[in-house]
Amino acid sequence: MIRKIFYAGIATAALMVGAAHATETIVWWDFLSGGDGIRMKAMLDEFNKEHEGKVKIDATTFEWGVPFYSKVQTSAAVGQGPDVMTYHESRMPLGVSTGTLSPLSTDELAASGIKSGDFGPANWKAAQGPDGKQYGVPLDIHSIILYYNKDLLKKAGLLGDDGKPKGLDGVANWDAALAKLTANGVSGISIPGDNASGWRIFYTLLNQQGGEFLKEGKFLDGANLDKATATLAEMNKWVKNGWAPAKTEYPASIALFTSGKAAMHINGVWEVPTMVDLDKKGKLFDWGAIQIPVLFDHPATWADSHSFAIPNRAGNPVDPAKRKLVLDAIHWFNVHSLEWAGGGHVPAYLPVQESAEFKALKPNSDYVSLAKTAVFDPVSTLAGVASPVYDAAGNFVVPAMSGEIPPADAAKQMRDDLQGQTK
Amino acid sequence: MIRSRRNEILVAYALMAPFIAIYAVLFVYPSLKMFALAFTNAPLIGPGDWVGFKNFQRLWSDRLFWTSVWNTCYFVILSVIPSTVLGLVVAIAVNRLTGWLQSLVLAAFFLPYILPVSVVYRIWSWMFDKDFGIAQTVITPFTGGEHVSVFRTLPLFMPAVAFVTIWWFVGFNALLFIAGLRNISCEIYEAAELDGAGDWTTFRRITWPLIWPITALVMTIQLILQLKIFDQVYLFANNVRTDATMVMVQYILKQAFQMNKGGLAAAASMVLFILIVGVSVLQFQLLRAKGER
Repeated sequence: MIRKIFYAGIATAALMVGAAHATETIVWWDFLSGGDGIRMKAMLDEFNKEHEGKVKIDATTFEWGVPFYSKVQTSAAVGQGPDVMTYHESRMPLGVSTGTLSPLSTDELAASGIKSGDFGPANWKAAQGPDGKQYGVPLDIHSIILYYNKDLLKKAGLLGDDGKPKGLDGVANWDAALAKLTANGVSGISIPGDNASGWRIFYTLLNQQGGEFLKEGKFLDGANLDKATATLAEMNKWVKNGWAPAKTEYPASIALFTSGKAAMHINGVWEVPTMVDLDKKGKLFDWGAIQIPVLFDHPATWADSHSFAIPNRAGNPVDPAKRKLVLDAIHWFNVHSLEWAGGGHVPAYLPVQESAEFKALKPNSDYVSLAKTAVFDPVSTLAGVASPVYDAAGNFVVPAMSGEIPPADAAKQMRDDLQGQTK
Repeated sequence: MIRSRRNEILVAYALMAPFIAIYAVLFVYPSLKMFALAFTNAPLIGPGDWVGFKNFQRLWSDRLFWTSVWNTCYFVILSVIPSTVLGLVVAIAVNRLTGWLQSLVLAAFFLPYILPVSVVYRIWSWMFDKDFGIAQTVITPFTGGEHVSVFRTLPLFMPAVAFVTIWWFVGFNALLFIAGLRNISCEIYEAAELDGAGDWTTFRRITWPLIWPITALVMTIQLILQLKIFDQVYLFANNVRTDATMVMVQYILKQAFQMNKGGLAAAASMVLFILIVGVSVLQFQLLRAKGER
């Protein structure tokens, strides 16, 4: 009897080893939590189901920001870590400078069906290092948008017949609209008081004036400083006049909007699922979302990209056969990125971005125009997600908006702080 | 006789060997490496060139570093003595209770201590939330109806974080004090009572001197712990105004993991290490001297 069990055990083990050989495992790390995390998990399940017996992605999610990027950098340096990982395009200059990312050759990209022509030029270029090599493949373009409460805008006479806001362009109109919407305990707008949100709005408005945050190694040089001051003064005006509550925590700013206590809200496209879900449960008013209005001279919106990259594992590189599988998987996710767009994002892959299905997707199609005038973070090892530039936004932009530091001083201090860190 | 003594020494060394080996590999060696790193311009990972005292000069002239030193010391002042005193008060009060009521009250005070810092942060950031927090009902009568963003108002930041920290640790301190109080023989109290000593005299003349060693211990533990303050400050600042609220461990983290400056971070770590050793040895000596007087 015992002998029988013993042989059965050996046979099972042998079978399992055989099976393990047949299925290749891709180790995957990402920083996608919340709605993005749930959506990506569904896509990963779909991928694994479709490739059952051949390829299996073994995914782990880490904490967004500094924790994720520290982990990736330290593990790559000691030859550990994943076969593929998500990476913000804005963070690539730093990743390349620390040798964390492995370059992708045009040939190996092409072998998996990935071509530069399938992506927007600025979007594709943002994943290149100073050496001109490609270090990542973008999955999406994500940005900030203006969420609005149709009922409240209608009451204030700011809603057009097409259900979209009217008369918000230009600083004078925008300010007048905020003043009109602020009444009966309702604020005109709610804005998350975190550093990242402060940066995104500041960078959007600075670029609407043609301002350059970083030019030839100099932060806010010359006239750019005045444009930065004008931007901060405008943001401060919203709080000073009581149109926007000051120092609002990120979740509270969303709650102010969804509970009807703020008529408008500026936040990332990644909060679209929050609104869609509430709407589905019948707990939300009639809402919409559009590209950030043109307050200054011309349209421009801050944007970043979630992209995929292969880590440069020192002494233990991802072998060529595995790289092929990884790039195949990356291409699969781009081809299937309509599902990812459900998270509010704009697909980076043009065949999907220009497809009829995406054009019919609401509310994305109401703000997809932003992709054409999107401005990516300055290319610098000091810029990008969770970078010193983001910290500087927390130290100077956010307090300038809430009135703790006068706008002109904040702009100067931000310039000096960042310039000091280039040494 | 000599041989057996030699044997004993050998056995002692054999028994100590595993600890010494682990201590050497996991503490002494990395510490020495870090000291060496402090004199190089190494990035976070990989070797660097010898630069002498350049990192220390850089720290000396870095305004942010001095802000972090000041904030760390300020936090220690705000938290160490209040949490020790409050621990003693709670211990004396709890000690007067008896039976299940005593256990219940002690558990209530001790409960916060078992919470991880992330939960502590969540609880208090919700309580104090500017727009929806329950604590605003307590704050608004003092401000004329104005809601206050406690953790986003610079002068309130450190006191508020210290308040939360005291709330978090007071149960642990109280537990140590209760252990100390129970060690004081009740015969002494009975004798004092017979001599007609009042509550205050009993405390001044009996409890206070006899509990002093525990007080010194609690204060030293708190001092070392609070000099290493990081988690709460990092979480409550929430990436906003981090320069103004930066503490030393956070400065080290920023230099090492964000700025990729391993050498400079090691130098800052060395300064913190020396500060902790210096201050705690000094404090313990002072407290002991006072106790022996």
